[in-house]
Amino acid sequence: MPVKTRPVEKFAKATAKCATEAATYGKCVVADYNSIHKDMCAKEFLRLKDCYLAASKKG
Amino acid sequence: MLPLRAIRPTILRHCLTTSSIRTYAAQTPGNPMLEIFDRRTKHLQKDRAAHNVEESRKVDYLKDEVAMRLCERLLDIKRTFPNVLDLGANSCNIARALTQPNIDYTTPDDTQTPPLAERISKLTCVETSRALLHRDEDLPFNKEIDITREVTPDLETLSYEPNSFDAVLSSLSIHWVNDLPALLAQVNTILKPDAPFIAAMFGGDTLFELRGSMQLADMERRGGVSPHVSPLADVRDVGSLLTRAGFKMQTVDVEDIVVEFPDTFALMQDLQAMGESNAIMHREAGPLSRDVLLANDAIYHALHREEGAQGIPATFRLIYMIGWKEGKDQAQPLQRGSGDVNLKDLLGGGQFEKP
Repeated sequence: MPVKTRPVEKFAKATAKCATEAATYGKCVVADYNSIHKDMCAKEFLRLKDCYLAASKKG
Repeated sequence: MLPLRAIRPTILRHCLTTSSIRTYAAQTPGNPMLEIFDRRTKHLQKDRAAHNVEESRKVDYLKDEVAMRLCERLLDIKRTFPNVLDLGANSCNIARALTQPNIDYTTPDDTQTPPLAERISKLTCVETSRALLHRDEDLPFNKEIDITREVTPDLETLSYEPNSFDAVLSSLSIHWVNDLPALLAQVNTILKPDAPFIAAMFGGDTLFELRGSMQLADMERRGGVSPHVSPLADVRDVGSLLTRAGFKMQTVDVEDIVVEFPDTFALMQDLQAMGESNAIMHREAGPLSRDVLLANDAIYHALHREEGAQGIPATFRLIYMIGWKEGKDQAQPLQRGSGDVNLKDLLGGGQFEKP
């Protein structure tokens, strides 16, 4: 019987492939976290999300 | 504009006729209780976690470790305990720790110390989740100690006779209790005079990394925050809580256990398998949005990952408390300032300059 992969595991696996994008986004948020506001790092986040979506499609 | 004199009589008459004006304060009936945690949710979380036996056992590392450290504190009390209560037993982690031999690591290597279970005649384990409580009842340690398992609908009302236990132990459970002062007062009642209450719970700064990065992720993605990590009692409050419940000779100490996880998803999965997920009232319904999760993982790494480390640290702050029920001929703490030996002479050191 194949072992069932939980959605969160797939999610974690795909995220792990986007370390560079995650680091860029993380840096952007952390750089000024005392005055954080919505969509402060929207550009960086979209890049991270695109990477995640691409990675999760591949499997 | 009307002259003032014209309206005055009507106002006066109006005031006099309203007889329902109350000139005294009254208390609302019943005992108003602040509900912080959703009891039903917590129960479901624990039950669901325990139904996956394999996974649930795998994440017992924290509870077993804390139960062990808690039981070490019993070594200092040279007594036998005929009747002991384990309050919020989880999967009877305390019972397991009590049956371990050589728990006393201060003795030289070749001496064998018997398990603490030999000093305990009867252990009552009480827990809200049946599945979790009975998870390990077939394991060998059950034969080495006399365990009675009891399921209770909630931990906040204890149905035991006053003066019935020689010790009450509790490990990693009472941080989910809504009314901690009331619970401690009940514990004090069911203890025999001069009997100890020894407990460990998660405290204030537990998971501060996750709490912080979740807030940042929420702010950046959605423009507001929602509580994702449940609130916990602070170390400073525990002493006064014990005093308020009538305990004497309290000891409170703190310990941090830092666990390394590969990523935030592994951390959250483990918390879920422990049955320790968020259970605060008025939390957001439904699962976390993927965007926030994705952002949170990146922010957590950026903030807390150490140079060269493989994974990310998660801090668990444990508060250990010991309180004694008042008893006759009980040892009393000395007056402040009455010591005649300087601790500096006794322990050595005392230099604050950096070497």
